Amino acid sequence: VSPRAVFAWLSLAVALVAVDARAQQPAQPTAPQQLPSRQANYAWDKTLLRASFSFRDVLDKPLTARLTSGLPMVIAMRAYVFRENDPTPVALTVRTCSIKFDLWEEVFRVTLTGQGVDGERAVINAEGVLRLCAEARNLPIVDRPLLTAGAAHFLAAIVDVNPVSPQVLEQMRQWVARPTGSTGIGPGDALFGSFVGLFVRQIGTSDKTLTFRTQAFTP
Amino acid sequence: MARHATRLVCLLTLVAIAPRTSRAEPIKTWGGETPADVATPEPSAPTTEPPPAPPPATIGTPIDEPPTVPVTPVAPPEDAAAATTGVVRAPGRVGLRYTLEGIEVRGNTSTLARVVLRYVPLKAGDTLDVDDKELELTRFRLLGTGYFRDVRLSLRRGTRRGFVVLVVSVVERNTIVVNDLWLGLSTDADPSGAARPLTAYGGIDIAETNLAGTGVSLGGAVALADSQIGLRTRFVNPQFLGSSWTAEAVLLYNNARDFFGNKDVLVDDPRQQISQDYAVLQYRRFGGMVGAGHDLGVSTQLFFDYRMEKLDASLPLAASHHRGLDVEPIDFQIAPGTTLLSTLRATLIHDTRDEPVLPTRGDHLYLYADAALAPLGSDYSYVKIHARASHWMPLKWGHVLRLEGNAGGVFGNAPLFEKFYVGDYSDLLPDRVLDLNFDRRTSPNFLGTDIVEVRYGQYAAKANLEYRIPLYRGTRSVYGVDVFTSAGIFAIADARDLSQHARGYTGFATIPIDFTFNLGLKIDTQAGAFTLGLSNLLGFVPIRGNP
Repeated sequence: VSPRAVFAWLSLAVALVAVDARAQQPAQPTAPQQLPSRQANYAWDKTLLRASFSFRDVLDKPLTARLTSGLPMVIAMRAYVFRENDPTPVALTVRTCSIKFDLWEEVFRVTLTGQGVDGERAVINAEGVLRLCAEARNLPIVDRPLLTAGAAHFLAAIVDVNPVSPQVLEQMRQWVARPTGSTGIGPGDALFGSFVGLFVRQIGTSDKTLTFRTQAFTP
Repeated sequence: MARHATRLVCLLTLVAIAPRTSRAEPIKTWGGETPADVATPEPSAPTTEPPPAPPPATIGTPIDEPPTVPVTPVAPPEDAAAATTGVVRAPGRVGLRYTLEGIEVRGNTSTLARVVLRYVPLKAGDTLDVDDKELELTRFRLLGTGYFRDVRLSLRRGTRRGFVVLVVSVVERNTIVVNDLWLGLSTDADPSGAARPLTAYGGIDIAETNLAGTGVSLGGAVALADSQIGLRTRFVNPQFLGSSWTAEAVLLYNNARDFFGNKDVLVDDPRQQISQDYAVLQYRRFGGMVGAGHDLGVSTQLFFDYRMEKLDASLPLAASHHRGLDVEPIDFQIAPGTTLLSTLRATLIHDTRDEPVLPTRGDHLYLYADAALAPLGSDYSYVKIHARASHWMPLKWGHVLRLEGNAGGVFGNAPLFEKFYVGDYSDLLPDRVLDLNFDRRTSPNFLGTDIVEVRYGQYAAKANLEYRIPLYRGTRSVYGVDVFTSAGIFAIADARDLSQHARGYTGFATIPIDFTFNLGLKIDTQAGAFTLGLSNLLGFVPIRGNP
């Protein structure tokens, strides 16, 4: 048996194993339209679009149990505005929620960071944490001029539990320093990227990642 | 009663700081209903149970059952807590600090609790800031031991207000591991010096990394090839005599050969009377190493080792070959007859990887310096410095990038196995296994330089980039499978290759550098970690006429 033949057979074996392992992974969306959909409520606040939606399912049972671990947990949400059939987002709003369970006061101390929601809260149970950190209520989304009149738009969100990368958190902190409603993004922004780069599931970047889109709205 | 009062205060606080929601006019929506949970009022009865009363922990306690004996029983100091615990407010964040009452280990069925505690840089009475980054590093450090498949840290209330117990929950992995498994093909020469097209070599390194749950590692390794054998036994106790010092000992034996000569080899040796493609060196090594190490922090360790070996080398009476355009005698880089090698080594390891086999982030630095000095009984006198650093980073799309740098130098008269070997730097040649060299080839020479004149060098450097694609993650017998590809550039040279390069090379060709690459699978299993690389086989494809 020549070395070339051995090499060829081993290459084929590696390729087959790789293809097989890849096939066992769940299919990844290739466009924002393919994300799982959920409902949101939209409302105009003068020229500012606000949205309300829930992502409580990001905290499954084990993660909810870990809320009382006494160690910090972070829920970071990024919501991008897309035009239908356009893979490039036109606006972004972010919110981070840091949760610490005070073992002796028996309260969750929650620090919220985001457009218009900066501040500390104290809640007494996991339900309160979910209400503050796993729901968006009247979240400022985008100024009307950034939207194309008559075109359908939708929100696509990424929610990370305990994102590992400090850079992403820092970028989100800098993003929320913008004035409310200043949510337009361009190629120079740190959190800008293609849909695939932003939304395709990342391995090991957080304890859990949830991605979804909302139903469309037309300004 | 006190607890109810506390909750009442919290409820009032909630009312006082409830966020103001702006009045917004509804617009057209699709789907209609408001998300069910958005405006759900908070129930008055808490759903989160307060943590249980402080239980005690033990070795062998299942992770989901309360432990029964405290690992670190502590009598809480009377006055320490009040001053250091409570809510700490800083701009943009709320911090929490407690006084640590003890540390509890759960889920350890075979590992002694003290082995786990060795890696926790906290002790009873310390102030614990829940935002302290050392806590996450401690988790990584425990994962890095290789004893555990998962590690979780949490807190529970202590026996007194302001005190907490740090709970370390572990899931153990199999501790009898195959550290290395070598199987490969090489091209060597027979004892008469005649080149052979293809021979096989193999070896295995097995260790019980957690002997009887004590954290003691006991292992052995063997490597075999035609007329060559290497043996090692290794003992490592991370808590020598219950102290915070690591003790290690290694016993080694090598019956080795090596192959010298580039072109037109002439050998004067009774064993090599007919064919003389290569000059063959035979030598034996027998000796041992003892050492001690200490943690400099959660992620950093410092080791000191002493090694003594007896060397028996059998050299040809004389040998020559072509180096470039010149004929010159072959330097076998080892003293003939029986000699002694005696060295002192200092090693610094800095490891912040999130796991030891398929890391996705973190750094690993391995830096050592050897000194072999005559006053220590050595017939060789040299200093060797070698550094190897890697940085792993996750990419946005879920893949992993590793940047690796590697550089070293040997200054003085070192035996050949202490020098830098081209096979350790080129993925297309077999690495040395237990210091045995199985291959007579030089580097493939993709760049057309005088690297083909060098097999061992005093100086070496390499820059390498590895790209990994996670294919599978599991929790049973196979923990992970990644496909990887890597590429790099390296240089190996003796001092004279830099000052007096081989004649016949000019310009860029006088710099002994080459390109290397690899492709394959990395597999993390219950039995150990395996790398299946294809470059070793690809190395048999002739490049630029180099056999």
